[in-house]
Amino acid sequence: MPDWLAYVNDHLGRLPLSETESLQVREELAAHLEDNYLSLRAQGVSELDAARLVCERVPSWQELHRDILAAKSEAFMQNRVTQLWIPGLVTLFGSAGLLAIFEIAGLRPLVIRPHDPYSFVLYFPWLFTLPLFGALGAYLSLRARAHGLAVHCAALFPALVMAAALLALLLVVLILRDYGALRVVATGFAVFMLNWFFLPGFFLFMGDLLLQLVMKRRGVAS
Amino acid sequence: MVSNELKRGTAELAILSVLERQPLHGYEISRRIEHDSGGALRFTLAALYPLLYRMENRGWVRGEWETSDSGRRRRCYKLLPRGRKMLAPLRAQWADLFRAMRRVARVNHA
Repeated sequence: MPDWLAYVNDHLGRLPLSETESLQVREELAAHLEDNYLSLRAQGVSELDAARLVCERVPSWQELHRDILAAKSEAFMQNRVTQLWIPGLVTLFGSAGLLAIFEIAGLRPLVIRPHDPYSFVLYFPWLFTLPLFGALGAYLSLRARAHGLAVHCAALFPALVMAAALLALLLVVLILRDYGALRVVATGFAVFMLNWFFLPGFFLFMGDLLLQLVMKRRGVAS
Repeated sequence: MVSNELKRGTAELAILSVLERQPLHGYEISRRIEHDSGGALRFTLAALYPLLYRMENRGWVRGEWETSDSGRRRRCYKLLPRGRKMLAPLRAQWADLFRAMRRVARVNHA
C-alpha cells in the first residue's frame, strides 16, 4: 500500500500552524486517502488504478492548502477575540471604571513629592482592587481555552495599554520633532511607567498568578 | 449559478444530518452523504475538511482521535449541542427554499 502520509507531506506543502496541528491535519488527510484506497481495493480495483483514482480525488493541492489555512485562520481570529481581546477589554474597562468611581467618590491618591511635576501618584485603594481584575482577565481568557502568554496579556491588559499609549506619545513627539515636549515626555517616562505600568501591572499580575495557582490546584487549568 | 453560500449551506446541513445519527470520521461522512443522496451529493476531500474545520471552530462538531482495533488512527467527528441546535433552522430554511422553487420553477417530486 502507498505511504499516504508521505504523499500528503509531498503535496500539501508547509502549513504555518503549530507542529501538532499541522501533523494532525496531514494525518487526517492521509487517513482519508487510505480509506478511499482500501475501499477501492475492496471493490476489486487493481492497486495501480486504486492509487491513481485516489490521487485524482484532490484536483488541486494548492487550493486545498489555501482552504485549510483559511478555515484554520478563522479559528485563530476567533480565538484571539475570545482569549485576548474580550477578557482584556473587560479588565481594562472594569479597572478604569472603578478608578473613575473612586475619583468621583473623592478618594484621593497618595502623591509623593506633590510639588514636583513628575510626582509619584499612588492610587492605593484602587491598586489593591487590581488583583481582582487581573484574576478576572485571566479567568475569562482561560475559560476560552487560552494558555501561556495570551492569559498573562489578558490579565495585564490595562497596564499594557498605558505603556503602549506612552510609547505612542513618545513616537508622535519624535515625528513632530517637538523637542521641548520630548524632554517633558522623556523625563516623565520613568515616573509614568512606574505609576501606570509597573505598579498596576504588579497588582494585576498577582491576581493572574493567584487565579492560575488556584485553578491548577483544582485541576481546572490545563 | 449556485452561490458558494448556498453550496456551503447544503454541505453543512448534510454533514450535521449524518452526524446527528452517529459520530463518524471524515471518509465515513463523505461516504454516508454520497450513499444517502443516491450519489447526487459527493464530497471531495478538498471540500470536506476545510468545512469540518470551520464547523469545529464554531463549536458545531468536535473531532477526536480514536484508534481502531486494527491500530489505525482516525479523527472521529461528533455533533455538539450547538450543532444540533443549528439543524432545525437550517432544515426550515431549506424547506422554505424548496417550496419557493417548486412554486417558481414548477419543480415537482419525481
